[in-house]
Amino acid sequence: MAVLLRRFAGHVARGFVMILVVTTISFLIIRSVPGDPLAARYQKLVEQGMAPDAAQRAVEALYGFTPKGSLWEQYVDYMGGLAHLDLGQSLSVPGAGVSTVLFSAAKWTVIPVLAGTLLSFLAGVVMGVYAAIRRTGVLGDLLAVSGSLLHGVPQYVLALLLGAIFTTLVPILPAGGTADIMIDPGFTAGYIGSLVQHATLPVVTYALAGYGGWILAMKSSVVTVLGDDFILAAELRGMKRSIVFRYVARNAILPLFTILALSLGLLFGGAIFIERIFNYPGLGLMLIDSVNNRDYSLMGGAFLLITAAVVVANIAADLLYTVIDPRVRSGGEAA
Amino acid sequence: MAPEQGPPGVRIRGLTVVYRTAAGELPAVSGVDLDLAPGTITGVVGESGSGKSTLALSLLNAVQPPGRIAAGSVEIDGLGDVVALGGEGLRRARGRHVGYVFQAAQNSLNPLKTVGKQVLDLGRSHGVENPRGLLADARDLLGRMGLDGARVLDSYQHELSGGMRQRVGIMLALVLNARLVVLDEPTTALDMITQATILRIVREVHAERGLTTLVITHDLGVVAEVADRLAVMYGGRVAEQGPTREVLAGPRHPYTRGLLGAVPRLVGDIGEAHALPGRPPTLADIPADGCVFRGRCPLRMDVCETGRPPVVVSGSRSAACHALRDDDGHDDGDGPVVAAATGEEQA
Repeated sequence: MAVLLRRFAGHVARGFVMILVVTTISFLIIRSVPGDPLAARYQKLVEQGMAPDAAQRAVEALYGFTPKGSLWEQYVDYMGGLAHLDLGQSLSVPGAGVSTVLFSAAKWTVIPVLAGTLLSFLAGVVMGVYAAIRRTGVLGDLLAVSGSLLHGVPQYVLALLLGAIFTTLVPILPAGGTADIMIDPGFTAGYIGSLVQHATLPVVTYALAGYGGWILAMKSSVVTVLGDDFILAAELRGMKRSIVFRYVARNAILPLFTILALSLGLLFGGAIFIERIFNYPGLGLMLIDSVNNRDYSLMGGAFLLITAAVVVANIAADLLYTVIDPRVRSGGEAA
Repeated sequence: MAPEQGPPGVRIRGLTVVYRTAAGELPAVSGVDLDLAPGTITGVVGESGSGKSTLALSLLNAVQPPGRIAAGSVEIDGLGDVVALGGEGLRRARGRHVGYVFQAAQNSLNPLKTVGKQVLDLGRSHGVENPRGLLADARDLLGRMGLDGARVLDSYQHELSGGMRQRVGIMLALVLNARLVVLDEPTTALDMITQATILRIVREVHAERGLTTLVITHDLGVVAEVADRLAVMYGGRVAEQGPTREVLAGPRHPYTRGLLGAVPRLVGDIGEAHALPGRPPTLADIPADGCVFRGRCPLRMDVCETGRPPVVVSGSRSAACHALRDDDGHDDGDGPVVAAATGEEQA
């Protein structure tokens, strides 16, 4: 237990430093991008005949703040806000805090991507075991080839293909959005059904895009473990097939948890194309909008969220290993 | 717990194991006859590629693909011909009747489970009704071998040293009361002190539990230490076999002589050890006809090119060599008897 705690504390400290560094770098990059939305707005108002003072006040009222002072002062201001978990105000969505915008977008990304990732992980792992056991047969070859193909096709091509098939050729699924706008949001069967219907294509795309990688990774992992001495040893000791199978499966799936944790960390950033194609208002779309609108604070907030998610996922992966792999567990104790 | 019958005997007859390769099926073991007398320790010595490990796996009918047992039988008392066994019957025989101990360097334990959990898995696989009793047996066996049984059962593989792992391997081979035990390179990759300990344990446990034991090794020292009988393998065939002391004191087959001559001594000149010239045959270049050793043999004759060497039996010893047939009138009173060459050549 003490090992786990010490490990955890070390990770949190390193993760904190990592977040600090990434935040600083993204702050600097964003501020050095040319173009200033506040200045542009102010300019526009003045051109429309407003007095400079009034225009300044109007901009302040519109966005709730004015970036002022040197880069260093802005940086200190920004970091000070972060310390209070205040990400600032969005510039492109007037009057809304960055965290509000982020979280309303996040639910449209996290839930479908999570569902798609878990779906593809489960299917890929099961089929990967099968492909490994039947690797000399036709079915094993087919599975491996299908995995390679799906792994090779870019996500957006899959999304366009699925979209073309299921919304145009066989129009059984809606083409975009999160729910039918004619149905009032609420905890009703109709609304939830519409949500699921709209989420189907994005989720299936995520799942298919991930599946190829999982099946290939699991197949090669199982093949490696099958060649390990302890599997032959278990067979020569007359272990039941079901027990030997569990030995293989548990040892083979271990390395895949690293990939799973990392892909979950990228949940927040990796869905730009698919959200664009299915017009799904998640973090990917939001990130594009914020870049187009020079929305510094929203961009910064999005980068921070992505960084934090990756760091947390890494910590979670490592802690998971201390639980499931005894070799890692005692690795901290050994002198 | 232990069954009341005596240790089983084993009769291997005409055993031929082939491996499928790009160049067709090549024999790794061809026409081997070998008896394991009940209650004895037999040592099989050979270089890498001599077929000794394949022979060991054949005792469990466990030759791994692309290999297969092409001909012959392995009769084990109380079990019958294991070559004819398959499926559940074979699985139950493994572990229960025949214990198999892996090379020490091999990781023969599941790295994710404690030794105790794996003992329980073994019990579940073989329908042991009293898992507590099984664990107690495992603890006693480990204790008998000088380990803290309770602690080892609670340990993972990576927490054990090579010598400890090897003792765990022996425990797993014996805990279901198998009376026939096969040890494949039991001391390879262990330090000298641990080697000596393991060999002492093998000897003691063998005597205490009334086992029939087969030790596979490349190390003549190991055989000299533990084995009652010795079989020297070369190129998939038994070159010479007999009581260990007699074979080591008076080797007949030129290969055995070469092997003994190659052993460096602790005392004396290092130059006295002479390596055998040449290399042992690999699967691909084992001669199909004649004697497999002729390429490195100092006594090579014309007949060695064409005829498979006859097994020359004298007393409890036998050797397969053309040169021995000519060399009549050996020191043994019985005089050599020429037996027909066993095992047909593979087409």
